Amino acid sequence: MKRILIVEDEEALCLLYEEELSGEGYDVTTARDAEQALEILKGERFDLIVTDIRMPGRDGVELITQIMGLRKEIPIVINTAYQSYRDDFMTWAADAYVIKSSSLDELKARIRELLAR
Amino acid sequence: MIEAYPFLAPDFQSKEPKELSLLSIVSQSFFQPFSVDDNLLVIMTALTSGSGVGFNRAMLFRADGDKLRGGKWLGPRSPEEARMIWEVLSTPGLGYLEIIEHNRWLLSRDADAMTGKIAPLEFSLARDNLTIPVTAVAKNELLLVREASREPLVDPRFLQAIGVDEFLCVPLLAQGEVLGEIVLDNAFSRKRIEPKDVKLAGLCGLMAANYIYTATLHQRMVEMERMAALGEMAMFITHQIRNPLTAMGGFTDQLLNAPADEAKRRRNLEIIRREIRRLENVVYELAHFLKVDPSRRPEPFDLKRELRAVLQEMEPRAAAEGREIRADIDDLLPPVLGDPIAVGEVLRNLIVNAFEASPAGSRIEVAAERRDAAWVSVSVKDAGHGISPEARARLFSPFFTTKERGMGLGLLYVKRVMDACGGTIEVESEAGRGTTFRLAFRSREEGRAEA
Repeated sequence: MKRILIVEDEEALCLLYEEELSGEGYDVTTARDAEQALEILKGERFDLIVTDIRMPGRDGVELITQIMGLRKEIPIVINTAYQSYRDDFMTWAADAYVIKSSSLDELKARIRELLAR
Repeated sequence: MIEAYPFLAPDFQSKEPKELSLLSIVSQSFFQPFSVDDNLLVIMTALTSGSGVGFNRAMLFRADGDKLRGGKWLGPRSPEEARMIWEVLSTPGLGYLEIIEHNRWLLSRDADAMTGKIAPLEFSLARDNLTIPVTAVAKNELLLVREASREPLVDPRFLQAIGVDEFLCVPLLAQGEVLGEIVLDNAFSRKRIEPKDVKLAGLCGLMAANYIYTATLHQRMVEMERMAALGEMAMFITHQIRNPLTAMGGFTDQLLNAPADEAKRRRNLEIIRREIRRLENVVYELAHFLKVDPSRRPEPFDLKRELRAVLQEMEPRAAAEGREIRADIDDLLPPVLGDPIAVGEVLRNLIVNAFEASPAGSRIEVAAERRDAAWVSVSVKDAGHGISPEARARLFSPFFTTKERGMGLGLLYVKRVMDACGGTIEVESEAGRGTTFRLAFRSREEGRAEA
């Protein structure tokens, strides 16, 4: 079973992603902020990471940079409400950029693609 | 030895040489809190007042795209009126405010027949077929015209409007950009315009151009700041709306796409309901936030009354939640400048924040006092655990909140309101000893003194 780490500060969204992605057949772990995510990554292996960008504490762009340094081979999906970060060159390091919407279809499709590689 | 001198007072009846007093009036009019047009009229008054250069009338043209358009025409319509105006202008103790009121009156009488004559005038700034008055700005030269009716280079419509044979054209340019032109004449005294009058008027023209240029740049800067703030707002709103929409859409789809037991249905609907409330709150706070209009002119109002009203409103909540509000409001607080409704909102915002930061059973201190002749200060002190230096640095940025469900707009709103009324906000915070927000309002008296 493929393992996914979700980094998302919104409680309701954490629950939603966890349920929906588990329903797709993945083993899902959630972290509510970047610090927690880095802590989890120290001890566990994941096949893919989905992260928001703006969160309390250290923000997602910084997190991606750190994770890139830590685990270069893990695909990363940025999942955010902001369009504008697409122009931030730090986010180019990510493998996909998904803007949050009322449908999870795109997020699920990107994850499927990246894990099929 | 060190001697301190004040700047030369802008005095319309100065004992100083008239050149000095004229330059003093013109240069200091730039710092008056009036509109560009009003300030330009003061410059024109200085050019036409007895103690200034003493021209009889001054006509202003403003550049508008590739055209020079007739604007205001300041001066008497008859020798009798001229005497009357000069009398008004020689009243001792005359200040900018009186001059501006006088000018407004001049321009309002008979719907201003003189300005009516030049307002329809419009000249192309294109280089071919230059006629006077445009020649002066096109070539950036002071042009003294005598025997104008015999001069083919004077535009006949202009000549008909001005109705005199001798006048001086003063171009207003900055950085090669045409801003306008002032035309001066001695229609009533028939006094010949001398070279020294030309030099002095030219100097005033340079200063007026400088002023228009600076004022225009300032206007552009304010505009750009507003656009940048709007962009930031748009980004912030996007975030505030997309997150709840994502949750609502996702939990709705769950119910639509797969059978769910009663507990799950209920849970999803409750989440959706909560997110709807959040969206509603976004709309409410936003509407509120956008109500602050920084371009709105601050008016004097009774800060004491606003503050007491907010405190009274908070009283029941204080009692219910077990917090004490101690208020220390100076009874002799002078009126301050601002938008009373927005300032009421600011006070409410800070007091509610103090409430939420303070533990039950603690005390919130609100004080209002006159700091000096110019400023009134209001402070709100909470009993919370203080703000970290990192948080303090981001306190007024739009994304920042420490509250679970805050929009992060409250303090930004406070800052905007204070900026709009020319006031300030300061924060003092020490770990474990609470936080004090200190607002400073301009008092009405100071506003007067400036005028």
